[in-house]
Formats: sequence, structure tokens, C-alpha cells
Amino acid sequence: MPNDAKHEATVFYADNRFERMARRQGGVAREQALENAQAHIEELKSDFAEWLEQEMQELRTAISQLEGHSSDMPSLDRAYQSCAHLHDVGATMGFELVTFVANNLCEILAAMKAGAPNDKDAIDCHIDALMLAKTEPYRHISPEQVPEMTSGLRRVGELVSIVPADNNK
Amino acid sequence: MKNPTVNLRDLVILVADPNAYARRITNGILRGFGANKVLEVEQALSLFQVLSSQKIDILLCDTRLPPHGGLMLTRTIRRNANNENRTIPILLMSSDTGESTIKNARDAGANIVVAKPMSPKSLYDRLAWIAFNPRPFIDTATYFGPDRRFKIEGYPGGVGRRKGDKQVEVAEEVGPGLAQDDIDNLFSAARKGQPDA
Repeated sequence: MPNDAKHEATVFYADNRFERMARRQGGVAREQALENAQAHIEELKSDFAEWLEQEMQELRTAISQLEGHSSDMPSLDRAYQSCAHLHDVGATMGFELVTFVANNLCEILAAMKAGAPNDKDAIDCHIDALMLAKTEPYRHISPEQVPEMTSGLRRVGELVSIVPADNNK
Repeated sequence: MKNPTVNLRDLVILVADPNAYARRITNGILRGFGANKVLEVEQALSLFQVLSSQKIDILLCDTRLPPHGGLMLTRTIRRNANNENRTIPILLMSSDTGESTIKNARDAGANIVVAKPMSPKSLYDRLAWIAFNPRPFIDTATYFGPDRRFKIEGYPGGVGRRKGDKQVEVAEEVGPGLAQDDIDNLFSAARKGQPDA
């Protein structure tokens, strides 16, 4: 290691208002805070179905624009973004299967962005799975409860996410 | 201290997330925790406008924040020596929990990463961890941010590498993503023999 002043570490404690204030007495006790937060989430559920439908529609639109134009990066980005939104929110709102399928589809779309071919069938089966996952019988179940479906989607994802070695994208 | 109570009242919390619905959820969770000053932005330009106009006490930032992502943004905040918010706690929210992403987040200067989708519990416990496990800042030619070699006494289960620390347990790379416990461990695990930590 060079014996140069600029390579030496300066160690200091910064005045941190968050640490000072967050440790004050009088905060909401953890269990109560978690309960309150869950209540806020429950309130949001009233319009979650509408949001989910809108996001699904945006995903389908972006996917349809990809057909025949697998190198359409803006559409691919929009599809990935919608899919990521579904992933990020699904399980928090109690739709674990939506998060699982969206995560799998995100990986396929990420591979396409990296140069993997556009496999319409693979994408369509994930869209179908998302449509199923948001319906009443499936929205309350976890991925572990439908092992055939989850392992099948994983396998499809693995098969179509292979990026050609000579791809320079 | 096990399960400490975090008092978020009057703390200014900035939530930066491109997903409007996710921002609503995070805002709602924080208000459930007792926060009463939660601000939201959807991209980096708005974030810097807020940072330049008022004091923020903690930043919760999605790793996909446009245009360059939360890791780049964290690096920018930490590396700008003239930025008065340089030492604010930064909690990154990430749906990509690959080990390399988590390591990059740590090396960018994030205090901790919480995996998306979030639960109230996962967020609360990491806010408590930031509040009750203060760390010194390290300023070197190649890194500015919270000490990455910190000793930890309890939650979230990870440990450092200093004398007296417990055994390090970093998750093995078994898949594309890490569980939240593994993320915590990776954050608290020290890197050996590095001059910049």
C-alpha cells in the first residue's frame, strides 16, 4: 500500500440527525408500528386491482410492440419496467404468485436486452400465468403451493434466457 | 438491544422510487411507523432539487431510480465533498438481490439494502438497525461512506471481522438472488485486506 497521505483513511463520526431523533423516547412500539403499517397496506388494497390491471395492460402493450422487433429497446425497456413494478408490489399486497411470475418474466426480458432471442411462446405463457395469478383462487396462494407451475416457468425461463456468446450488445 | 422502538416523528424522510404505487406503499408503511414528514420523488433530478432545498434526514432510494440508478446516485451523493447531505443515511430498495448488486451497493456507500417486495417488518428492522448501530464514516481516495468493516452486536445477524466479532456467515452464491438475511450479512461482512475500508 502506498505510503501516501491521500491513501490513508480518515475515520470520523458524522452528526447524524436520523440516529439522534430515531432513538428518542416516545416512538410507536415495534409491534404496534407493524400493525399500523399493515393497516395502511390494507387501505391501499381497495384500488390495487385497478392498478394491477393498468400495469398488466401496459405490459401487454409493450410486449405486443416487441413482436417482430425483438431489438426494439424502448419497448423492451417499457415491458421490463412494467414487469418490475408488478414484481416489486405484488407480494407486499398479498399477491405472491404475481411477484414470482413477474420476477421470472423480468429475467427473460433482461436476457433479451442482453441479446437473447425473442421467444413469443415463453413470454405469452408468462402473461397467461400473470393473468391467472391475479384471479381470486390464485391470488392468495404462494409459489410453493403450485410447484408444477413454478418449476415449469423456471425451466422455460432458463431455456429462453441463454444469451449467444458472440453477442456484443 | 432486541426489537428497539424507532421514533420517526418529525424526521424528514425522502422516498425516491419510479413506481408511483410502490411510493404510496412505502409512504403508507412509514406513516404507520409514526412518520409525519414523508416526501416522494420519482427520479434523480427531482431528488437533487429536494436535497438542495431542504434538509433530509434519511433517503430511501430504489436501485432503478432514473436515469442512472440508485447505486450511481448514492455514489454521487457520497463523493461530492461540497454536498451537505453527504453523510445522510441511505437505504437502498432493490428487487435485484444478486450478490454483485448488493456488494456494489455497499461499496457505493449505502447504509443497507432492503429487498423488494418489502414487508413492514423488513423495513422497520432495517431503519432500527441504522438508528441503533451507528457507524463511523470512512474517507479515502477510493471510498466515502459508512465503515464497511463494522462490528455488530445483534440484529441483523451479520458480523464484522474485528477482534471480538462473531463468525462471519456470508451466503454462498446459490442462485440469482439473496434472501434479506443474506443481504444483511453481506453488508456487515468485512472484506479482508482492503486498503479502502
